[in-house]
Amino acid sequence: MFDFNQSYFKLFGLSEQFALDTSKLANAFRELQAQYHPDRFVNADDKERRVALQSTGFINEAHESLKSPRLRARYLLTLKGVEFDDEIDTTSDGMFLMQQMEMREALEDAQSVSDDSETVLDAVEKIGKEVKGLSQSLQDDFVSHFDTDNLVAAKEAVLKMKFFERLSKEVKTLTEKLEDDMF
Amino acid sequence: MALLQISEPGMSTAPHEHRLAIGIDLGTTNSLVASVQSGVAKTLQDQEGNTLLPSVVRYLENGDIVVGQDAHDSQLDDIANTISSAKRLLGRGVGDIKTLAGNLPYSFDTSDEHSNVPQIKTIAGNKTAIEVSAEILKSLKKRAEDSLGGELKGAVITVPAYFDDAQRQATKDAARLADLNVYRLLNEPTAAAVAYGLDQRDELNESENERIIAVYDLGGGTFDISILKLNKGVFEVMATGGDSALGGDDFDHLIAEWILEKSESELTHHALVEARRVKEALTDNDEIIASIETSEGDWSGLISRADFDEMVAPLVKKTLMACRRALRDADLEKDQVHDVVMVGGSTRMPIVREKVGDFFEKPPLVDIDPDQVVAIGASIQADVLAGNKPDDEMLLLDVIPLSLGLETYGGLVEKVVSRNTTIPITRGQEFTTFKDNQTAMTIHVLQGERETVEENRSLAKFTLRGIPPMVAGAARIKVTFQVDADGLLNVQAEEEMTGAKSGIEVKPSYGLTDNQIEGMIRASMDNAKEDMEARKLREQLVEADRTLEAIDSAMASDADELLSEDEVQTLLTARSQLIAAKQTAESAATVKAAIKHMEHEADFYVARRMNKNVNEAMAGHSVNEFEK
Repeated sequence: MFDFNQSYFKLFGLSEQFALDTSKLANAFRELQAQYHPDRFVNADDKERRVALQSTGFINEAHESLKSPRLRARYLLTLKGVEFDDEIDTTSDGMFLMQQMEMREALEDAQSVSDDSETVLDAVEKIGKEVKGLSQSLQDDFVSHFDTDNLVAAKEAVLKMKFFERLSKEVKTLTEKLEDDMF
Repeated sequence: MALLQISEPGMSTAPHEHRLAIGIDLGTTNSLVASVQSGVAKTLQDQEGNTLLPSVVRYLENGDIVVGQDAHDSQLDDIANTISSAKRLLGRGVGDIKTLAGNLPYSFDTSDEHSNVPQIKTIAGNKTAIEVSAEILKSLKKRAEDSLGGELKGAVITVPAYFDDAQRQATKDAARLADLNVYRLLNEPTAAAVAYGLDQRDELNESENERIIAVYDLGGGTFDISILKLNKGVFEVMATGGDSALGGDDFDHLIAEWILEKSESELTHHALVEARRVKEALTDNDEIIASIETSEGDWSGLISRADFDEMVAPLVKKTLMACRRALRDADLEKDQVHDVVMVGGSTRMPIVREKVGDFFEKPPLVDIDPDQVVAIGASIQADVLAGNKPDDEMLLLDVIPLSLGLETYGGLVEKVVSRNTTIPITRGQEFTTFKDNQTAMTIHVLQGERETVEENRSLAKFTLRGIPPMVAGAARIKVTFQVDADGLLNVQAEEEMTGAKSGIEVKPSYGLTDNQIEGMIRASMDNAKEDMEARKLREQLVEADRTLEAIDSAMASDADELLSEDEVQTLLTARSQLIAAKQTAESAATVKAAIKHMEHEADFYVARRMNKNVNEAMAGHSVNEFEK
């Protein structure tokens, strides 16, 4: 019988920590899918098919949650009893918000540095690299807070990750648009 | 019958039960059916030897329905009652038709305001795209039953990767009307990758665990690009993209426009037919003469492949842009792609093959007929799902093609399941009330990538009642989305304190209600009796063949040894009677009686063969050995 109460880490046989063995996750994911996917139950009765649907739903959700660094960090905190409310929770770190605004402005300015799409693209890619570097150090922050049981600071890091997620999405959209223009 | 199959003692006499399963490519222009027989996937032909069934249905005044080539050929004579391209209407609402109708030759009945499903006016009454598609499926089903000779256990039907929930549901509804058991809806590009057996190649190449495959599918009316990942028999769709309004027809239009410009005449159906001929001829010729009749007289002009290539370059470029986007969604670079699979008749165009090869920096796979490759892949998947290949580990993991979300305050859409998430998936999201003492909440489910409600596709709306009166923001409403392996959605809303619940299986916006489907099924019951008898007869004919085969092989092996002249004569008489019954094929009952008679006459022979086999098997052993 499938255990819907087990932790996502236990499901994939991973240790409960932020550092992730991605190939181990990928292999365990495939093995579980091979076992529980509804396609394995097309000739079974309704009940078995429903269970298959629910178990794979759980497996997929678990996989998505561990694959993304932000969701993984968030999940680790919820396991420790930290609650998140997406409609209210946000960071109040003024310095951080200022830095975000500056990066957004830089992204906008980059678009008007030149008429040449290639130059613009270079500028945008440079910001993209910066965003990537800062996200990485934010992940390091999370790990050090989490490991020292400073859950409030760890939660703050997770909330900040969302800003970088949006920012890198914007960089991506912009890069795509620029490349399409050049193509 | 089983009595004639003699095997060594201790060996199983029960042959592995082979479940008949088919793969169907339900296309906009043409449809096909394929099945795996003796381990080989093959498309099935009709009695005239045609593989492609034009997706055209003609309704006649006397209630008869003509499907396929004949309907296609009479299209110009009876355009109002001949429905083509029904796939474009599947899962579409009345509102969508306004944008599509300009390109459709038939008219719609809009008198029923309560119906969300567009009703096409025909001489035989109003028909929906679902009913039209069901006729195509029925025709393919019959073709499969005729050539496989037995009852179909299930089918895999392919859909474009781009199909949204309503379109997938409509496809399933059509299958239900055609009385087909759908194992799974499968994305067309995924089916193509399966057809090439790329999962098997994987094992040959031990140095690489993963294989990345791009499937480029340019059909008559749609373009799809899918990026798949293969690892130890598991297919994962990493990203899909494309353009649901770009296909070979657009290439025809460009040539037609060129012809019209050069000949200074008006657009006609004939110009389009000529354009298609020119396009196809340019696949094997460097230049070709295009000619049409104009009001001024006959016109003809030379068109070279270079002219053509220049004309269509923007269309090809558009497809490549979608390829780049899909690669980016999958977080991959071009050089990480191992194989490029070509699907759809339009990929026969040399310019398409060349540009796609340039883009991915490797020659695309074109060995399997691009029109058949999807149906072949679907049949392989159907065979696996039917359980005919218990050792096959192949598993297809699909992603949801479009994001699913809910309407929130201010007409904005909050995404709950984003596109390219692996399905099936169950995901909950919490919402709250925004007014004091609010006791009900409308849940509006949308599909699409845009920010606002108007720009996305509305799938369903329902209301959760019984929320206890509280201050704004205090109630906790959990909305759960469940998407199954076919990409079909089910939404539940629950107020967590009181447990007030409401839910919906998303389909009413553009699909048919269960009652409507039941009604249609009942209406088709009138013909069902005949179908049943026909099926029984087919089964008996197959059974007759098996009996004949068994008796012939038995007699060939030991008739001299076990039978007298007279006995041989008796068996041969019964055999001729069975052959005669088979050839007249009057009814299932007469064929069955002849089989029984054959078996009855052969009883003594079966017993003798059994004894002989047992004796041979025991020779050299002491009886004691067998008593244990």
